[in-house]
Amino acid sequence: MYAVARSKVYVTSVGFTPVGDHWEQSLLDLAVEASRKALKGWRNLKPDQIIVGNMFSSLGAGQEHLGALLASALGLAGVPAYKVEAACASGGSAFNVGYSLVKSGAIDSALVVGVEKMRDLEPEEVSQALAMAESSEYTQFVGATFAALNGLLARYYMEQMEVSRDELSSIPVLDHANAVTAAHAQFRKAITPEVVSRSSLIADPLRLFDCAPVGDGAAAVLITNDNGVGSSRKKMAEVLGGRVATSEFSIYERDDMLEFKATREAFKAAMTQAGVPLSKLSLAELHDAFSVVGALSLEAMGLSKKGLGSKDAKSGKFSPGAKTPINTFGGLKARGHPVGATGIYQIAEAYLQLTDQAGANQVEGAEFAATQNIGGVDTTSAVHVFGRAS
Amino acid sequence: MAIQHWRVRDRYYRLMGSKCMNCGAEYFPPVYRCRSCGSEKIKDKDMPRTGKIVTYTHLHEPLPGFEAQAPFYLAVVKLDNGARVLTQIVDSPDDSIRTGAKVVATVRRARVDGESGQITYGYKFVVAY
Repeated sequence: MYAVARSKVYVTSVGFTPVGDHWEQSLLDLAVEASRKALKGWRNLKPDQIIVGNMFSSLGAGQEHLGALLASALGLAGVPAYKVEAACASGGSAFNVGYSLVKSGAIDSALVVGVEKMRDLEPEEVSQALAMAESSEYTQFVGATFAALNGLLARYYMEQMEVSRDELSSIPVLDHANAVTAAHAQFRKAITPEVVSRSSLIADPLRLFDCAPVGDGAAAVLITNDNGVGSSRKKMAEVLGGRVATSEFSIYERDDMLEFKATREAFKAAMTQAGVPLSKLSLAELHDAFSVVGALSLEAMGLSKKGLGSKDAKSGKFSPGAKTPINTFGGLKARGHPVGATGIYQIAEAYLQLTDQAGANQVEGAEFAATQNIGGVDTTSAVHVFGRAS
Repeated sequence: MAIQHWRVRDRYYRLMGSKCMNCGAEYFPPVYRCRSCGSEKIKDKDMPRTGKIVTYTHLHEPLPGFEAQAPFYLAVVKLDNGARVLTQIVDSPDDSIRTGAKVVATVRRARVDGESGQITYGYKFVVAY
């Protein structure tokens, strides 16, 4: 045995579509658009691997076999390509595969593309598709939607931790404020806590504005090592660490429903791998598919103490200008949540921050960023940590 | 879908879950391996039919196939043996459905599938008085 000096791994470029209604574009159109944007400027680069993150193209677009479909459409037939699925954590998990392959030295570059087509479906069909992240026999069978599980969790959180309605609304309010200046966000309008508390009930106590919207979108990132694109460090972010973790499948199978074990483990491992102490983290992109999920994620990552996630957000602890801002382009609630693409949007946003390309949403002097992408109710969590390329 | 539900009919009709033959922990839904001690010596066992509401929600927009029942209550119920089950709470006054309320299992029509209208029955819980 002799030691092999492993190359550093970079996010070299990114591309994405706005999140929202794309009536004129198919699943493949969106994936191609994001991929072309990420590959722009690297025209001679043929990625060693294409990985697609997607949750329910079978239901959303009647389409599977996305890897070869995209490779062929990009004129990259011959390149190894496949899809990675882990419910709403599909994007982050796909990135983790690409990152692991490049870091291991098996390949020098990977194009990772997250894509989801949700708006072609009727609302109840979207509910059915999302519910497939949960047990068919014991969750779907009783009529429970994914929102219903989060409603159960939200009531338990509010009762156990004495969290008020307005406190729970604080993360959605923050998300919407941050999205006003985010060109790719689905909803670019600021809201008040009253807007949340007066919106229609979905799964009591959760209301419409507690829940991420339904939208189409695709995002792509090019991962390389030093061999992949030469020595230019211009506008690159370094991938410092990454981990995927899982927990007991459904919330009702967990001894403590308020403990996001997958996120806690994945975040701890990724930060340790990166060698970044929590105090040095400049920003975090959280998977706040529901307000309560954002709060419990903050607590699992150690950015808030138990029971204080929403309360801390309300007091401004994660707002722009604070020590660790979150969801700098609007998070899942306002940037949007095209489920299988979300994890790649988060990584693209971290990249923009660390390369000073975030415009009005720039976190000044950002050094380190974390992204957290969840499937199920923290059943899978994919966390990655990034720094400036040096 | 129908055969998938037929396969687990004892789970749905009798609340048949799992018991760990090593440490005695009981589970519903059933498990392949004990989450407490890690043993794979697992046997089927019917669960007690009473428990308490841990948390609940009033669901306005249910899954397709459940529209006729909506809105309805869902709860996580901790059974008397410690197992936790996700279930509908039915035939109970709104103000009786709260955290800590005692509930008892019953069998109800769960869903009606497809064009043939095949009916599947399963457990639901009612508040006990």
